[in-house]
Amino acid sequence: MTIKISAAGQIELTGICSSEEGEVLLQHLLASPNMMVNWRGCEAAHTAVIQVLMAARPRLLGPPADIFLEKWVQPVLAATMHT
Amino acid sequence: MNEFITQFLIESREFVEQATEGLLVLEQSPHDVERLDSVFRAFHTLKGGAGIVEFTAMEQAVHAAEEILSAARSGKRALTTALVGDCLACLDQVVQWLDILEQTGEFPSSVAKAKADESWLAAILEANPGVRPRVTTAMQFIPDADCFYQGEDPIARVTALPALLALDIQPVAAWPSLNDFDPYKCNLVLTALTAASMSEVTAHMHGHSGTCEMRAIGPAQSTPQALGLPSQARDILSAQLVLLGHATAANFAGFVASAGMTAVNVLRSCAHAETAALVEQSIGQSLTGNSTEPLRNAIAQLLSPSPPTLSVATAVSGKPDAAAQTLRIDARRVDALVRLTGELTVAKNAAGHVAKLAQEQGNALAGVLKERQVVLDRLVAELQESVLGMRVLPLRTVLQRFPRVVREMSVSLGKPLALEIEGDDTEADKAIVEMLFEPLLHIVRNAVDHGIESPGERAARGKPATAKIRIRAARQADQVIIEISDDGGGIDLARVREVARTRGVATEEELREMSDADIVDLVFAAGFSTAAKVTELSGRGVGMDAVRTAVERIGGRVSIESRAGLGATVRFSLPFSVMMTQVMTVEASGQMFGVPLDAIVETVSVPRAAISGIGAAHAIVLRNRTVPVVDLSNVLGLRETMRDETNTTLVITAFAGQVGGLRVDRIGERLEVILKPLDGLLSGMPGITGTTLLGDGRVLLVLDIGELLQ
Amino acid sequence: MDPQKTILVIDDASLVRLYYRRTLEAAGFQVEEAMNGLEALEKLLTSPVHLMIVDVNMPQMDGLTFLQAVRQKDRALASIPALVTSTEAAETDFEAARAAGANYYLVKPIDQPRLLEFARMLCGVPR
Repeated sequence: MTIKISAAGQIELTGICSSEEGEVLLQHLLASPNMMVNWRGCEAAHTAVIQVLMAARPRLLGPPADIFLEKWVQPVLAATMHT
Repeated sequence: MNEFITQFLIESREFVEQATEGLLVLEQSPHDVERLDSVFRAFHTLKGGAGIVEFTAMEQAVHAAEEILSAARSGKRALTTALVGDCLACLDQVVQWLDILEQTGEFPSSVAKAKADESWLAAILEANPGVRPRVTTAMQFIPDADCFYQGEDPIARVTALPALLALDIQPVAAWPSLNDFDPYKCNLVLTALTAASMSEVTAHMHGHSGTCEMRAIGPAQSTPQALGLPSQARDILSAQLVLLGHATAANFAGFVASAGMTAVNVLRSCAHAETAALVEQSIGQSLTGNSTEPLRNAIAQLLSPSPPTLSVATAVSGKPDAAAQTLRIDARRVDALVRLTGELTVAKNAAGHVAKLAQEQGNALAGVLKERQVVLDRLVAELQESVLGMRVLPLRTVLQRFPRVVREMSVSLGKPLALEIEGDDTEADKAIVEMLFEPLLHIVRNAVDHGIESPGERAARGKPATAKIRIRAARQADQVIIEISDDGGGIDLARVREVARTRGVATEEELREMSDADIVDLVFAAGFSTAAKVTELSGRGVGMDAVRTAVERIGGRVSIESRAGLGATVRFSLPFSVMMTQVMTVEASGQMFGVPLDAIVETVSVPRAAISGIGAAHAIVLRNRTVPVVDLSNVLGLRETMRDETNTTLVITAFAGQVGGLRVDRIGERLEVILKPLDGLLSGMPGITGTTLLGDGRVLLVLDIGELLQ
Repeated sequence: MDPQKTILVIDDASLVRLYYRRTLEAAGFQVEEAMNGLEALEKLLTSPVHLMIVDVNMPQMDGLTFLQAVRQKDRALASIPALVTSTEAAETDFEAARAAGANYYLVKPIDQPRLLEFARMLCGVPR
């Protein structure tokens, strides 16, 4: 399971998050709208997952493990956070 | 299809041509007010037409382009290369829609957003000034909403772009509330800047589902002083150069001083105070030295060199269309007329046969008949020539597509190109003009892809940066000659030899015997292709052999002349007029032959037993008439195939008033072919009237029924 | 803060002069007017001018004749940038204007943004 609620009360993204996880992430966020999303262990994320993050704008704890996500996607998410 | 739509299609295509031509000229001469007007009016009329037939999508798409042109007309916006590209892209979309409408009779359902607007481009360039110098391609990608179901991951694809410099991801529509949000519907637009070439980016994005727009980005102006000079400022500065050219002794001081003051003001206005001071110095130098040169040099230096890739100059000669003297005629009517004329010829021949018979039988009327026959002969021949002449079109029809093609190749490959077209008012038969585009396109692509060197190589060889391609057409007696020349590196003979050897096109000994000209001709051999890698542009398995086949099919010839290091010329020699004949194919002894359709009355399947022999001859009774039967294999001297069937096939023919039956093994299909009369070695061959090349390159012998049945 | 720039508008149509005056004054320029070339020459001698906007078609002394005369005067006057305006858009008209000493040429009607853009650049006012 690449998306789960951690013991610390965060939505954790670990390893490779495939497109199906998009729905999982969405459900978690609907259930706990204020929970922080920790993607430090995220090695890859399908667009569907990233899209959920863009639409939901949760608080994010990074940086993600993958350099591409950190270089290209994190800045975009950071920008949407402030809107 | 109702007549409004028919008319709409014809007119829209004409205006698209007018607009395309105008846009290409405008790109080189942006101050051509008349041309800008004419292009604007073309788009305006296109929009109006779309409105009348209620083609809303087209109306909207054209409107966007019309806005750009309107802004250019009023001076609010300069018509940049990118904007011209947008307008051309809009026209492409319109042509696609027109094609669909023509083929299906219905308006296309998918409405692509024709975004004739470059605001996305400006936005991402502005947001990333640091990488601007390295940007060569900008791209905006909007994946289809259902792309996830296709197994696609757009962000992964785009972040993997070669030499990615900047990326922006935005939602297409505002995000709905989380409760209503469907995570599997893609709602993103991805905009990227890369240092990769447009072809690399295209290759990388191949197979995506969604819309992808790309722009080639020229380097930011190289000279630091000119960095950030808006186009109006550049216009004013070049105007001062022109002014200085008009200076005379009487007004010298005034011209120099005002031109200098203007240049200084423009620079100050654009916040280039230091440069302004330098120009001011050069004013003093010019005045004391009594020469415009110091000032002219100072201003000229501010205007950076012209943008690298695009230079498509067309010298299209030819008479303007005498519109009032032409009629629009449906091509099918002319084709029907040609067929009718063919039949008339056959009937005339039959009458001639009767006249001959009458003469032989000493009939009193023979003399009169013969006279009439001569008159008839002449009239029919004139009619045929006249009718064939109606099918003649100027080569402009096919050549006018090339400026656009060359422009796109130039952008796509980053090679500056200039195209010259000569003699495009030369006429040729419609069939020829129509088949020419593909072969010519292939030749031009080859020349640009392989013949013309990269800008670096050309510079190293002392060649002008802009490569030249020339297409020249002319009429010579009954032939139409078309030459495509380039000033590239010519055909690489060593490479041709190597490929020929490795692909088994020729043996080592054969290659040694061949002259350079023979080696060059090998590129037309079947199975030959020197493209090491099939680039996006040239070759999808269409080799030079396909070009040669296509040309020989219509009775023409094609050859190449190459000069190492200087370039190559491909020469087409095509017949001026071309007669299409309808034939039916038949099979005998395992070989295929063509039977002219106008000689065929019917085809029947009869029991073998019904054919009775009277000595060496055979006959059959058909509808109470005795019809002589001839076996095709037999009469052609081929080995008869013994077939064990009860029934056999007969082709009943009528020629010169005589009915006969041709026994064949099998009947094939009907074809429309271009008949090449027999010449050279084959001309004595009995029973054959001519040959034609089939689409797959095989030769079909067409039978002479009259000779066969005698 | 730059000192104000003065633009001399030379056109025989009062409506045109009014249009230019309103547009330019609103952008912070000082505007002087003249109905023809003769009047313009007088104005030039009385007040400093940073830009002349000259219409070609004027009675008594047309724009190009006026311009030719100015370009042969002393340096202070001869060096003033001149923007020539006309309803004509043929290449020959551009040529004639250049030969007379025009620094730029615009075809009428000129809308406000364009007028201001060129006025600023020709006067050296920041955009």
